Amino acid sequence: MGNWSYSHKPNKKKMKQIYTFLFFGIAVLFASCKKDKSNYDYKANELITVNGIESVYNVVSEKDKLVINPTITSSEEGAEFEYLWGIYETNVQGYAPVLDTIGRTKDLNYAIKQPAKAWVLVYRVTNKKTKYSKYINVTVNVGTEFTRGWYVLKDDGTKSDLDLFLTPSSILPTEARENVYSLINGQKLDGKAKIMNVFSSYKSTVTGTLANTKALFVTTDKDVSAVNINTLKQIRNMNSLFFSTPSPVAPNAAFCASSAYYLINAGQMYNIGTNSSNTGLFGGRILRDAINTPYRLSDYYYTSTYSDACVFDELSSTFLTLANGGGSTLTTMSDVAGTAMPAANNNKKPLFMGFKSATYIPAPVYAYTTIGFGIFQDKTNPALKILTQMDLDKLKLKMTNDTLKTTDKIYNATMHTLLDGDENMIYFVVNNQVWSRNLSNKFEQLQFAPPAGEVVTFIRHKKYSTTTEPAYSYNYVMIGTQSGTDYKVRMFTKSSGSLNSEPAFTLTGKGAVRDVMYMAPAISEFNYSNTY
Amino acid sequence: MIAVAVLTMASCKKDQYYLYNDIARIQFGPDVSLIYNANSVLADTLKPYTFYYSAPSVTQDTVFFDIYAVGGVSKTDRAFTLEQEQLPNTNNAVPGKHYIAFNDPGVSKLYVIKAGTVHTRVPVVLLRDISLKTTTPILKLNVVANDIFQLGEVKNLWRKIEMTDRLSRPAAWTDSYATYYYGAYSVVKHAFMIEVTGKKWDQTFISTLAIDEQAYYVSVIKTALINYNNAHPGNPLKDDNGQLVIFP
Repeated sequence: MGNWSYSHKPNKKKMKQIYTFLFFGIAVLFASCKKDKSNYDYKANELITVNGIESVYNVVSEKDKLVINPTITSSEEGAEFEYLWGIYETNVQGYAPVLDTIGRTKDLNYAIKQPAKAWVLVYRVTNKKTKYSKYINVTVNVGTEFTRGWYVLKDDGTKSDLDLFLTPSSILPTEARENVYSLINGQKLDGKAKIMNVFSSYKSTVTGTLANTKALFVTTDKDVSAVNINTLKQIRNMNSLFFSTPSPVAPNAAFCASSAYYLINAGQMYNIGTNSSNTGLFGGRILRDAINTPYRLSDYYYTSTYSDACVFDELSSTFLTLANGGGSTLTTMSDVAGTAMPAANNNKKPLFMGFKSATYIPAPVYAYTTIGFGIFQDKTNPALKILTQMDLDKLKLKMTNDTLKTTDKIYNATMHTLLDGDENMIYFVVNNQVWSRNLSNKFEQLQFAPPAGEVVTFIRHKKYSTTTEPAYSYNYVMIGTQSGTDYKVRMFTKSSGSLNSEPAFTLTGKGAVRDVMYMAPAISEFNYSNTY
Repeated sequence: MIAVAVLTMASCKKDQYYLYNDIARIQFGPDVSLIYNANSVLADTLKPYTFYYSAPSVTQDTVFFDIYAVGGVSKTDRAFTLEQEQLPNTNNAVPGKHYIAFNDPGVSKLYVIKAGTVHTRVPVVLLRDISLKTTTPILKLNVVANDIFQLGEVKNLWRKIEMTDRLSRPAAWTDSYATYYYGAYSVVKHAFMIEVTGKKWDQTFISTLAIDEQAYYVSVIKTALINYNNAHPGNPLKDDNGQLVIFP
């Protein structure tokens, strides 16, 4: 401790100054004391209750009105409310959505003029006395006649078209719009129909600015038409879908997978990377490898849409993928120990390949593993056919082979479809009959034999599960047949993997059916597996 | 209390704003649209220029830089002065041969900040001398103090032009683009890109490419390069320095 000492005594004048400062200082301290009058009455928060607003509204643009008459109560006595209705769009990219105020009264009576897509309706109720606000957000699916219904892709052998079956109140169709594609676009689509897929964030300028456009990609063996689902007008086709149109034009399929949109033409892959800015045009041909080895992709591919696509090079008999949907070169799948067949140069040719199921692997992987099945024919010994389960983990492939007996019904099958995410079964067509095969115990069973005169042209399993509009959920094995110039698509529900005796409903029209898809405002590219 | 109140009041004082009271200064800067972009402070310091794409009848062309007066506007036009700096061990541009000298009456009158403004574009008139077919001279120009302007920030007192009549690296072929898209610049690679795509790959073309369009062209060029190398076994495409032409 140091020594404290004063060098001199304070004089009277200095002491007076000190007392003066002390006096004012203490006066300030006292003045700063104040009785606490805070409110410590911890009563319950105000509760504003809004009833009479649905969680989802489905409306048609330029036709329907949003009429909502909510009832509002508050736990505060004498509450006086003010109101605000606003609406903003979803699935935007490249700009921020703006809340458009559409009303300031308790009730809403608003004529929908918004373009067809999903919007969010915001209702704000504020107690003017307490300034407390209650917010309600609900989905408004703005549609057109074309944004909801069953689409049937069909052809007459040389030209293709779409039929639309309207479903105003449930998944069951009530009326048909025949040949809607040619009705809107003035001509049918050239070529024999193959497949259709939905691209929910395809870039186009149909609204005047480059923006996400929900598009239906319709593929035939001579053209691909990207159609704006709101209007059914063609946005682009093979002459305009690329920076440079490939030659020859011989489309295999257009589909979505993780991080990219794909178009396979003449067995060559083209893509649009969806993780970066793009103008909706497919880029240069993806190379097989660093020395540009020739390749020819099979028609068959599969992806859960959440993962990279699995494709097959028929020239080298090799499983390939475009890793992460990007880059300029395909990647050869690698083998997992114990695989029954190498992923590369396996001397096989796919007779069918499709998606079965996907499993999400959480942190730290954050990715899907997928299971697909294929039927492969040996190139050297065409009599050798195998049913292969493909367990795909990013770039690693483990295959389990089941050599088919010539007596197996599936041995001579001509069309196939896997039960997407459901029972471990594959459906197939043999001798114009629809059979199933249990992939676990190999049990085969006749499921459907069409009436005399009808020829099966199409089978596929599709499903759509929704809690917001349960009347539109479905799970059907769809069987298309042709009789003369007429088609029928029977929509079968199933029990334990087997078809129920009668279809839930049947679509009928003209032509040969090649694909069927249910479209709804809430359906995006992630609702359906991208596969044959 | 009165004293405290007085003290409190006395402690209030109007904030002293520091207005620019310095003399007029001058310095180069980026394009007007980029002056508030911190990342663009040193943009446009070097501008490569080539007569390669111009018709044979073109004998001169103009490269512009942006220059800014600091210290407010003036009611009269204010001339500024440019001088060439001779760089050591460099093929320096020659006035009258490669460019019109800054003190030439034909251009000197253009080096002026107009009354009521603080910015102008500085024209440097380049001449298409025959030597540009085989060389790439460099013109480094400095703005120097005169009786109107003192100098601004040291790092913004100069600009450079690399001029040639051959293919040359466009400014848009930045180091970043070289890393991610085009690889190292070489005249051979540049000519190959032009031949394969039929595009100029000059400043305007590169700087206006959309991202996906650029990726498309690069994929086309990479494919063509692989095909070229496959067609010339043991003799792949090499650049001006004998290095393999590659794209990242």
